[in-house]
Amino acid sequence: MAAAMTGGGTAFIRNLSRLFQSRLPVLVGGPQQLLCLHTTSSLEVHKWERKNRVVYPPQLPDEPRRPAEICHCRRTIKYSKDKMWYLAKMIRGMNIDEAIAQLEFNDKKGAKIMREVLLEAQEMAVRNHNVEYKSNLYVAESFSGKGKYLKRTRFHGRGLSSIMEKVFCHYFVKLVEGKPPETEKRTSLDQAKEYVQSLKNRTIIHSL
Amino acid sequence: MAMSVRRTQVVLQRAACIKLKIGEMDVRLPVPLLLPVRTKKRIFIPPVAKMNLLEDLKDSSREADFTQRHQDFERPINIGCSVVIFDPYIPPEGDARLSTLSKEGLKQRTEQIRQSASSQLAIRKIKEYDSQFTTKDFAKKAQEIFIEAHNFLTNFNRHMLHSLVTERCYPEMTRGNRYKTICWSFIESLEAPKVVHARCPEMITKGNLYGQVTVRMHSRQTLAIYDRFGRLMLGSKEQPKDVLEYLVLERHLNNPYGGWRLHGKIVPSWAPAKDPIIKTVRIPGPQLKPGEEFDALNYQVPKPEAVQWYK
Repeated sequence: MAAAMTGGGTAFIRNLSRLFQSRLPVLVGGPQQLLCLHTTSSLEVHKWERKNRVVYPPQLPDEPRRPAEICHCRRTIKYSKDKMWYLAKMIRGMNIDEAIAQLEFNDKKGAKIMREVLLEAQEMAVRNHNVEYKSNLYVAESFSGKGKYLKRTRFHGRGLSSIMEKVFCHYFVKLVEGKPPETEKRTSLDQAKEYVQSLKNRTIIHSL
Repeated sequence: MAMSVRRTQVVLQRAACIKLKIGEMDVRLPVPLLLPVRTKKRIFIPPVAKMNLLEDLKDSSREADFTQRHQDFERPINIGCSVVIFDPYIPPEGDARLSTLSKEGLKQRTEQIRQSASSQLAIRKIKEYDSQFTTKDFAKKAQEIFIEAHNFLTNFNRHMLHSLVTERCYPEMTRGNRYKTICWSFIESLEAPKVVHARCPEMITKGNLYGQVTVRMHSRQTLAIYDRFGRLMLGSKEQPKDVLEYLVLERHLNNPYGGWRLHGKIVPSWAPAKDPIIKTVRIPGPQLKPGEEFDALNYQVPKPEAVQWYK
């Protein structure tokens, strides 16, 4: 590996080799602490998973019924976070059945993974979080985050090489019980009417 | 390496002993052999030499009176409670369901623990270990333990709960409670608690006695379980229910510091634990032929048959 790289000095190679050793997904406690990386060890629970452990006090009979919220995620998906964003944006605010159906017939690689995550979350909601109807859920939050990238060498022509990033992402979803909130639908005609109205509302001051 | 071998050879050749002249005799006394020692730290230690090195270290540490850390490969486990309810009490059918004025009710009222001989034997054995044991006092104490344990379950305190409840009963009581809130209250006792059954089983070794006493309790309690979001899942806070329970309390008699702890409950066969009300019901839809569509608006939900059922 060191012999193949000719595009840099010895310090560069040493740096790279150190990075290769430390950025592996199978993490060891020692090198992490030395390099002061922002990581969590395997026994600590991430923030998103901890959201399911919140217990609210019993509600009084006159309070409106609190809707159940279920947070679920999948970590280290071999997909790009930017590509995942498109799918996450698509299902935001949809009813869960509709979201699952849309993802089933989407051709992207992330769609299959997202569908599995949604089905898992639905199952969890019914079994553990006292949700009565499995279809009475909607996607309140859905977003993707960057996972830990691996670095590999990419060989170019003319003996040049560069670092290739193996990209990973996380996917987070929050399901809430109830009907999806109504989004205001603004058509182009409405927008045009508003524009014309704003023009008509102008007053000319200090005129003859 | 050759040089070191040569060095040792030279030293050995020089003589391993000095010649003394004591009187007329030539005495050869052994001289302590001074070998030149290698003082530079070795980077590579061959495995055989490493083993020897470690053994030497162990010997020297023993001489210096440092003991090696005691490794627990086998940790002793203290069994504080028995696993099952030995020879469970079979409650008579219709207990607390018949009115006390009928003949059956009177028979039950007058039924005493003296009828069962093995229970008497067991009580006698318990009295050997605990001279102040009486069935009347014990029944009261049992109720107090029950109330205290459930109060600690409500305001969850696992240390106090472990002292009032055996290790067998603890998971039964606390499984699934972590993400739920339980509100329980004891309103009143309808009948005085009564000791109905006692057994003294032995576990593993002879003489290792555990005393198990069954107490019958008829009381009024309220129970409400709220889920993670504070919504009422089961029960109700205002509506009290009459509860007939058969509690089993256990004590490790050989242990002088042991106390009576709640070991379990007996659910009679004629009053099994009822499933909570199923709120959502899946009604099977009509069998459609391929090509037919399901008309949700005009579909008549089939009514279930009227079947007589009793408590």
